[in-house]
Amino acid sequence: MYNNILGVFILVIKVDNLTKRYGNLIALDHFNLEVNQGEIFGLLGPNGSGKTTAINCILSLLKYDKGTVEIFNKPMAPDAYDIKKDIGLVMQNVAIFDELTVYENVDYFCGLYIKDRNHRRELVEQAIDFVSIGYYKDFYPKKLSGGLLRRLNIACGIAHQPKLIILDEPTVAVDPQSRSNILEGIQRLNKAGATILYTSHYMEEVEQICTRIAIMDKGRIIATGTKEQLKAMISSGEKIRVELFDMDDNILQDLKKLPHIVSVEYEDNFLIVKSSRGKNNLLAVLDYLKSNNIAFGKIYSEPPTLNDVFLEITGKELRD
Amino acid sequence: MFLHNYIYRLKCIVRDRELMFWTLFFPIILATFFNLAYANLSEAEKFAPINIAVVDNKEYQKNAPFQRVLKSLSTTSDDKDEEGIFNIRYTTKEEGDKLLNDKEIEGYIYCDNGIKLVIKESGLNQTILKNFIDEFKQTSSTVETIMEHNPESMHSGLLDRIGHRTNFLKEVAPSKSSPDTVVNYFYTLIAMACMYGGFWGLKEVTAIQPNLSPQGARINVAPIHRFKVVIVCILAAISVQLFEIILLLAYLTLVLKISVGNQIGYIILTCIVGTITGVTYGAFISSIIKEEGLKIGALIGSSMTMSFLAGMMYDKMKYIISTRAPILGYVNPVNLITDCFYSLYYYDTNSRFFTNIVILCVFIAIFSLCTYLVLRRQRYASL
Repeated sequence: MYNNILGVFILVIKVDNLTKRYGNLIALDHFNLEVNQGEIFGLLGPNGSGKTTAINCILSLLKYDKGTVEIFNKPMAPDAYDIKKDIGLVMQNVAIFDELTVYENVDYFCGLYIKDRNHRRELVEQAIDFVSIGYYKDFYPKKLSGGLLRRLNIACGIAHQPKLIILDEPTVAVDPQSRSNILEGIQRLNKAGATILYTSHYMEEVEQICTRIAIMDKGRIIATGTKEQLKAMISSGEKIRVELFDMDDNILQDLKKLPHIVSVEYEDNFLIVKSSRGKNNLLAVLDYLKSNNIAFGKIYSEPPTLNDVFLEITGKELRD
Repeated sequence: MFLHNYIYRLKCIVRDRELMFWTLFFPIILATFFNLAYANLSEAEKFAPINIAVVDNKEYQKNAPFQRVLKSLSTTSDDKDEEGIFNIRYTTKEEGDKLLNDKEIEGYIYCDNGIKLVIKESGLNQTILKNFIDEFKQTSSTVETIMEHNPESMHSGLLDRIGHRTNFLKEVAPSKSSPDTVVNYFYTLIAMACMYGGFWGLKEVTAIQPNLSPQGARINVAPIHRFKVVIVCILAAISVQLFEIILLLAYLTLVLKISVGNQIGYIILTCIVGTITGVTYGAFISSIIKEEGLKIGALIGSSMTMSFLAGMMYDKMKYIISTRAPILGYVNPVNLITDCFYSLYYYDTNSRFFTNIVILCVFIAIFSLCTYLVLRRQRYASL
């Protein structure tokens, strides 16, 4: 999927050593990124980690202090129109005109790329159908809900059928139904041949749709890989959560003595037991509780998440 | 591509109801209020005959010279070349008192051992009336004295010289149009409306600047040269604003009957140059100020200040500026646009008009150049 017929990866975006400062604050700290053709590449990081700054630098909207950006193997610049014609941008803020109807908004932005009227009409209709807002095409944006506005925002960014689509947190403040619709749409765009660079601070979304993920913190990429590769980087594996109402230190001490246990904690009436990578301890934990006549309630066994990866690498939660 | 952009920018402008109100309907509403407020201002400045009464008693009947003088100054005078000063009624003394109490006359004259004046209030009309009687008494006394001591001199033309007043000032009309302070209020209003075109310039620059709006960021990642978009946006703004100014002008001339002279070509030229000045001014403000509220405040504040200094709220302001700080008049686009209209209306020559047009063009060049210097940045330090 990512390679050409010779089996070689084709780079769509190559960012090398990008550094961006706002006064004393380093927004991007030697930021490196490689996105291959056909990928849905996820840029995951908490708010303020530098995702949007990275996108704006890649698109030559922002000045940067150091580094290089190449798109489609050509240096990116504000006047690199041959590169820009194949890029679609869906921004974090809804970028549409309130004075234009849904159809007119899509047509206006598509018209910045496509001169031929008949061809443009087809593309606009397709984009509107793609995000399922055909019913609203004569509506003005003020009449639309937040979710529909986000869909319109996407239609405006993809109507010209670009080869590279950059989506910067497109699901912020969106209801679950619209979010699901948007994520499915992104996967369909990818299947239709577009390379996607997707930024988010929602790890579930990134896990759901991205083929490769880079985790960002404080302007740096701290880990890159598939979700499996990322999860394999950390020492902990399975996490068992057992609802316990009576707890004493002896239980914690006894459980810590079980094999392959990384940590045992008690928080909010839940006993949390983490096992080392690739090991399962659910039966052993349950045996211990039964044999010691310890009453327990609900039990959950969870595989490690990207939040665990982030937590282990940075020492803080992804949502902090 | 040009037409596509231009049509959509026109739609964006025309459908902006809030700005359409301020740029089109607000000046029309203000013009209507101006018309209501100033409708009788010119009339009030015109001299109206003074209503007086003369007690028609025996002594008055004996005073033939006074009768002749009064008749020559009355509105019923046979001399149609000059309008009479007095509108005279002949009454009894009792009727005169009653008319005075009812404020139907400013005063009445009765003769009882000399000419006497009865008034009830003091004012301009009463002063004119008193001066007239004082002058008549003085001249009569002079003639009587000369007749008594040197009657021969009366035959050598002295009588004519006594009654003759020499005016050492010659009145020359600078134009065919009569001076009208009221039209200046309306011309200032048109000028203010031109500067309100700045709202469109402000809106358009905001729409295309990536550091000012997300729409601007989206436009800037499109494969189209920034200045092509800027020019299309400014052209759309000028088109709409010019149309609005023409509508305002039509309302003033056709509905409110405000005269702007008959040099249609130059009037249209003033509208075009004024509109471009306003739109480029707004674009300039928008390019140098990032914060939305601040830039709107700066635009409204500066436009209103310029309008005030051009005499929109106080007609003497234009005179005060031209005598005490003339440079302020030349650096004030509202004053220059106002003066264009006024010079077309009032002066027979166009040198003053063209001076104003040239200065306005210099302003357009300065605003455009400054906007270009700011907008030519292709990457931004922050968004």
